[in-house]
Amino acid sequence: MNRHLQRILILLAFGLSAGWALPAQAALGGGTDSVVADAAALHGASAVTALQTYDIFEIAAGDGARIREYATHAGVVFAVAWSGPVMPDLHILLGDNFAAYAGALATVDRPGLRRSLRLETAGLVVETGGHMRAYRGRAYLANRLPAGAAVSDLR
Amino acid sequence: MRLVCLSCLIVTATLLGACLGGGKAPAGAGSASAPVVNTTAVTVDTGPAAATGAINHAYVSVRVCAPGSASSCTTIDHVLLDTGSWGLRVIRSVLAAGSVTLPAETDAQGQTIEECATFGSGQTWGPVATADVTIAGETAAKVPVQIMDDTGTGAAPPGTCGASGTLVNQVTDWQANGVLGIGVFAQDCGTACVAATTPLAQYYGCATGGACAAENVALPAQVTNPATLFTADNNGIIVSVPALQNANGDASVQGELIFGLGTQADNGLPPTALTLLGADANGDFATTFNGASSSLPALIDSGTDSYLFDDPGIPVCTSAAWVGFYCPPVAPLSLTAVNTSAAATTASVVGSGDTVTFAVGDPDTFVATATAFSELAGGGGSTSFTWGMPFFYGRKIYIGFDGQASGSFKGPFYAY
Repeated sequence: MNRHLQRILILLAFGLSAGWALPAQAALGGGTDSVVADAAALHGASAVTALQTYDIFEIAAGDGARIREYATHAGVVFAVAWSGPVMPDLHILLGDNFAAYAGALATVDRPGLRRSLRLETAGLVVETGGHMRAYRGRAYLANRLPAGAAVSDLR
Repeated sequence: MRLVCLSCLIVTATLLGACLGGGKAPAGAGSASAPVVNTTAVTVDTGPAAATGAINHAYVSVRVCAPGSASSCTTIDHVLLDTGSWGLRVIRSVLAAGSVTLPAETDAQGQTIEECATFGSGQTWGPVATADVTIAGETAAKVPVQIMDDTGTGAAPPGTCGASGTLVNQVTDWQANGVLGIGVFAQDCGTACVAATTPLAQYYGCATGGACAAENVALPAQVTNPATLFTADNNGIIVSVPALQNANGDASVQGELIFGLGTQADNGLPPTALTLLGADANGDFATTFNGASSSLPALIDSGTDSYLFDDPGIPVCTSAAWVGFYCPPVAPLSLTAVNTSAAATTASVVGSGDTVTFAVGDPDTFVATATAFSELAGGGGSTSFTWGMPFFYGRKIYIGFDGQASGSFKGPFYAY
């Protein structure tokens, strides 16, 4: 494992929160270094899986919540996936992409009744689903998937 | 309070024939007093006066009273029947129109308890209050309910509520005056909201005129499925809706919501030809769609208007009226899926799978003024399988509540 990953792992080991309180820049399209910067403020279990063309950072909280961030080896997050008892704050997870998501969502009729929703705009894909006690979803930048990463891997 | 009426069960077991046919127990059988009326009408129609045009929305009427009051009451029509959520939620202005004020719950610091609950891509926001809830002849006292604050007169939602989507507190958001969540669970959040180190972003304590902070809430104070708190007939429900006369759309449909499983002559579980699917800790069973190599989490959800599943092979509709639904070029398209239990309810039902064949029609050929459609499907990108309202037409759907016994079975389960 390279030193970049080692550094992230050591600081993640100080804890990751149960409260979905992710740092502002550990977001889709952002860098993974920001996870390091805010790791001290969080509690939970973490793991990193290094695959051939990308890494998966997994944050698992005691209440069953789980976030996965898929990043290129250069450290850019191209996908996020979540599951847990509450919906995470997509302002944080989508970062700069939130405005595009909100714009696409505004065109949906009666969003509260759309228990499974897929929005796609300018390469950003956001899929939300699940139900009370078990929400799930993912968001990815369709044009930024590294070679070897399939959409079906992002879950 | 939660014990199933044992004498009723014994009577039910010895009168299986009567139960199968839905007939009444002979005079003198069962308990001495007349059984509580445990059925109420379910209507699929265009929706409440303030928000018509609904499709595949099943509605019931719910009577809500201030706790202990016989006069401060209102009967709310067009409450969405939702087997995919848990808890009663009522829109504030609807309560106000009925001149009913419900006392808000407060926490140990005297702050009002409010809730942000996610539905689809929207979130409801408003105080948790207590009410006496009556449906048919069944009553539950001091039920924690959510008041969806469409008037904005209560505490402002925290930035995280509505931040990931939009607030859905209006009658027009729901095409309903409220939502009756009577699925498998009792509390809407459960143990995850009781003692979390960092409280979940669901329940909040709101200081008067001040900010709201996420906090833990004990189970009895969480918004609760009222049917689990009825004094009797509280171990499950049956939703019985007739088949449509026209797959391309009926103007309206009338069915029944029946409370209790095996507690009265009208609610026995059939002894044969029953598919019974145990649900896991999330309230899901498993559906393997179209011969896939793995299954998807699934539930039977009257609050979803369609079969909801991902199938990239079916084109999506391009007409404005049917955005988000599938429009197969050759219709109806016949599809199959296999349902299996995700948890044991008894040893005899683990592992067996039931194959369901269902049809997906072309919405562009549907009757424009109809409200009920049995061949409506959508859900591209979904990572689960939802048996929505189309699955209810022509079936009796049985739901066994978490931890409650129904004869030899134990909830949570779905059955049909």
